[in-house]
Amino acid sequence: MTETHSGTAVTASPNRQAIAMQLKDVAVSFNGRTAVRDCTFDVAKNRVTSLIGPSGSGKTTLLRALNRLHDLTSGAKVSGHILLEGTDVYRGDLTVTELRTRVGMVFQRPNPFPTMSIYDNAVSGLRFNGIKKKALLDEAAETSLRAAALWDSVEGRLKVAASNLSGGEQQRLCIARALAMDPEVLLMDEPTSALDPIATLRIEELMTTLKSRVTIIIVTHNMQQAARISDDCAFLLMGEDRAGELIEFDTTEKIFNNPRDPRTLDYTLGRFG
Amino acid sequence: MSDMTEIQEPKEVGNEMRGEIRRISSHSRARRLAVSRMMIALCAIALLVSAVPLVMLLYQLFKQGLPVIDKAFFTTLPSTPSLIAPNATGGVSNAIVGTLALTIYASVMAIPVGILVGIYLAETESKLASSLRVIAQTMAGAPSILMGLFAFSFVVRDLNVGFSAIAGSFALAVLMLPVIVISTEIAVRNVPNTLREAGLALGAKPHVISLRVVLPASASGIVTGTILAVSRAVGETAPVMLVIAGGFTNSWKPFDPVSALPLSIYENAKSEWPSLRAQVWGIALVLVVFIFVLSLSARIWASRKQQVKN
Repeated sequence: MTETHSGTAVTASPNRQAIAMQLKDVAVSFNGRTAVRDCTFDVAKNRVTSLIGPSGSGKTTLLRALNRLHDLTSGAKVSGHILLEGTDVYRGDLTVTELRTRVGMVFQRPNPFPTMSIYDNAVSGLRFNGIKKKALLDEAAETSLRAAALWDSVEGRLKVAASNLSGGEQQRLCIARALAMDPEVLLMDEPTSALDPIATLRIEELMTTLKSRVTIIIVTHNMQQAARISDDCAFLLMGEDRAGELIEFDTTEKIFNNPRDPRTLDYTLGRFG
Repeated sequence: MSDMTEIQEPKEVGNEMRGEIRRISSHSRARRLAVSRMMIALCAIALLVSAVPLVMLLYQLFKQGLPVIDKAFFTTLPSTPSLIAPNATGGVSNAIVGTLALTIYASVMAIPVGILVGIYLAETESKLASSLRVIAQTMAGAPSILMGLFAFSFVVRDLNVGFSAIAGSFALAVLMLPVIVISTEIAVRNVPNTLREAGLALGAKPHVISLRVVLPASASGIVTGTILAVSRAVGETAPVMLVIAGGFTNSWKPFDPVSALPLSIYENAKSEWPSLRAQVWGIALVLVVFIFVLSLSARIWASRKQQVKN
């Protein structure tokens, strides 16, 4: 392990729960330019961990390192260690496709496959991974659509194109699509930023019910959202060299009420960002 | 009170400015309106100028083409008029069969290869990909007679296949290939990256994403480009005239000499018999209708795909 930069990354394990993912001195750079660094914290199982911070602080970049989505970007380099259940996801014997079936992702804008029906979208991940048995697919479709609180409104029109759904429904379909793989961790990159307040509320409620079956890591611009739904919170900030870094990681309650770093307080009080 | 005046002052300045803006804009409105009308008139004239030759061409085509078309035109083989029967032109069934055969064989050769290469160009960045792209672009601009020369020297002579439908369709396939490659690449590139990422995030391997996400999402663009390439090839004379030998039978066999509609036009137009020269218009009409049906089906397909997406 390399030594962390002095004066940054005050971290702690805020709870005694089991750990889903561990980040040790994680940094991401593009063509030699560091985008985010000094990220060391543990993601506790069956909790919601939020990544907050102003634009450019590297939240999304960090999140996308967790399921190796930077792999295909030329010039991207991830250093440090990211452990999933103790296995290093970059160096261990976990294949990238296996990692991604265990760590699902929901994106900023709803991105259901436009040429597929609701049903086909829900089971797309299973089909991509070679599962063809109809009974299995049917069951996965219903279970995941129920888990995403979408089943009741789409039960009668599973064969309809996914693009006919509203934005909020499309995003819940994307959540169902990820859940169908039965992942251990679900990464969510500002999943409600393209949605109206009511659709946002429904997704937030959903996250609260989902954490019993999946660990959630969510990037959000919305501090109220982070405060409402997350249990733990990582605060990132852009440093002087324009690289994002972890300022503080703690329970959401501590971050918002009693942070150790004055910059965290300034941000959560809305003094900048 | 002094506070009040301080607040009101900038407001009056604002009003003055607004008045000025309104004065100037109303002053120039008449002029802008005149310019706008003039531009619309110019557009109408340009439209007329470009439409007139097209309408005249279609008028000639139907006026001179329709009278020479009857059932025998489609069903009988050509015959040579004589002094006793100067109007015994026969039909052009061999050319219709030939054109259909050439189109089908050329499509079978060019479409799968073209689509695969197009996907490859869009989805990878390598030296091979960029050189292939340059080749495709150069080929798309090459004169079509070159494809005929190439098919003659390679298929007819070197491979010793002889004058045949397969040689002609090879020439047409080479002609179609770059068009299909380029339009496929554009269609695939237009698929939003968020869809690829969605596939990756579900643990799909890159080739699975290409086949099951990217290809369906770009299908309408690919099909449109392909049908346009086919309809371009159907009307080409130059690439086939050197290699198909203008067969006088209704043969679907790939290794037989065949004829083609554009080639029949060329041959008949050179004839000394007025009856054969008159037949040219009928052949041209059939060809135009065939191409029109092809491109219409491309448009209908594209718009229907669009509706599914919305």
